[in-house]
Amino acid sequence: MTDAYGFSSLPLADIRSGTTVLVAGPTHGGARELALRMLAGESNEGAIIVSTNERSSRIVGECQRVGLDVRADSTVVLDCVGDEDQNVPARILPLSGPSDLTGIGMRFSDVYRDFQQAGIERVRTGLYTTSTLLTFNDLQTVSRFVHTLVGRIDSVDGFGVLLIDPSNHDERAVSTLAQFCNARVDVRDADEGPELRARGLANQPRDWTAFAPVE
Amino acid sequence: MILCIDPDEDARAATVRAFTEAGFEARGVASAADARQSLRERGAVDALVAEYDLPDGTGLELVNDSRELSPDTACVLFTAVSLDDIDTEAFGGAVADYVSKDDPDARTEVVDRVEQSVAFQTQTSYPLPENEPARVAALERYAVDPAALGGTIDRLAELATALFGVDSATVGVLDAHEQRFLSCHGVSFDTTDREETVCTYAILDDEVTVFEDTRDDPRFGDNEGLAAANIRFYASAPLVTPEGHRIGTFCIYDSEPREVSEQDRHHLQLFASEVMEQLTLRRRLQNEDEPDD
Repeated sequence: MTDAYGFSSLPLADIRSGTTVLVAGPTHGGARELALRMLAGESNEGAIIVSTNERSSRIVGECQRVGLDVRADSTVVLDCVGDEDQNVPARILPLSGPSDLTGIGMRFSDVYRDFQQAGIERVRTGLYTTSTLLTFNDLQTVSRFVHTLVGRIDSVDGFGVLLIDPSNHDERAVSTLAQFCNARVDVRDADEGPELRARGLANQPRDWTAFAPVE
Repeated sequence: MILCIDPDEDARAATVRAFTEAGFEARGVASAADARQSLRERGAVDALVAEYDLPDGTGLELVNDSRELSPDTACVLFTAVSLDDIDTEAFGGAVADYVSKDDPDARTEVVDRVEQSVAFQTQTSYPLPENEPARVAALERYAVDPAALGGTIDRLAELATALFGVDSATVGVLDAHEQRFLSCHGVSFDTTDREETVCTYAILDDEVTVFEDTRDDPRFGDNEGLAAANIRFYASAPLVTPEGHRIGTFCIYDSEPREVSEQDRHHLQLFASEVMEQLTLRRRLQNEDEPDD
């Protein structure tokens, strides 16, 4: 097992490798930023970003803004939006759309293998967003996809973060998907700024805890 | 059982051999048609390892079909065809893993991948109870042959129907992939894939599970089995072994949505306890008939 994954700018303790966390909160609030920041790690790590509803250039820009060191040899975007962008400093792999869960899963495995062959053993994977997948697919199909992805992340000692906006879905759908993940971090936007609380993780804040948004 | 589909005889033999050497039972077939026939005749398999280019279709079509015949199966596309040349869009909901046959250690990789997926059942479309392998092993220790149970469980199901004033009641156990019914009163269910049953979710915790109206629930809203049996209301209590494993459920159903009282919950739990005690006693009797060593 590789070392735990750290989150230097967030009020979160290190998380054991192999873990996938569901980050739940309003998409345009602190949840998206938090989920993207959880992808930023050490320089020896790779990142796989699944973008279901934003162009590669835009999500890569967001990642850079929150501190991810985006490089073509260690950052891959699985792009379900298309509209291939030029001059993005990451490797972009186009997918036909957010209903191609088979394609996303297979690309993940293939990219992970590429990383491994290039000597990158530690990989963070982020899915932005699970809500889009639920819009385009039935719950059972998304469940199988999430279960499979979480299993792969576990078996390669990676770290995964799945973003979901609970206000768009029946809470029972959200909690079903949460059951496949090892933990859940809820995010809310309080008057003074964003707050998070964790469930299912050791040594993490169980009560609402403020975190500073990126300037 | 691992089903390996590859039209190339040498490649197929090498894949089967890799799985056999790793301790799996493996079988090779040369086409999608042979694979479908095998699934129909021999039933579900643990894993399906398919080449993409098949003489009668693609490996992805086959994976897609297998989700009907064998829904929990770990499916892996094991091929030299690059992902750039594979059209995944048409089978976007099939969900499978991918291992490139071009890698120098491709067969080690595919065996590792399948081993992991089978051990942790990571391609199911439903969440698994904690410690699922121990739960399934616990179930196997109980005599759950309905014929051997006499009329005891049937009588309890009938009594429950009358007591709660509902249409029907069942007692079922959930093995690794299916729910089998020990008794059905007022309704008739065949063995059902776990991804299609409400009890799959009910055995995730120890409490009584109630769905006042299953049609309201995103997991069951379009469930064909419930619609065919005209079921909207569902409540169940888990059958919990003395070691704490939830091996099955005692369920009641009705065609109308309804609420349950605290007393109903308590009574449902009593029915489940009674069934579990019957199963435990019968297991003890069986063990006395066939003493260990």
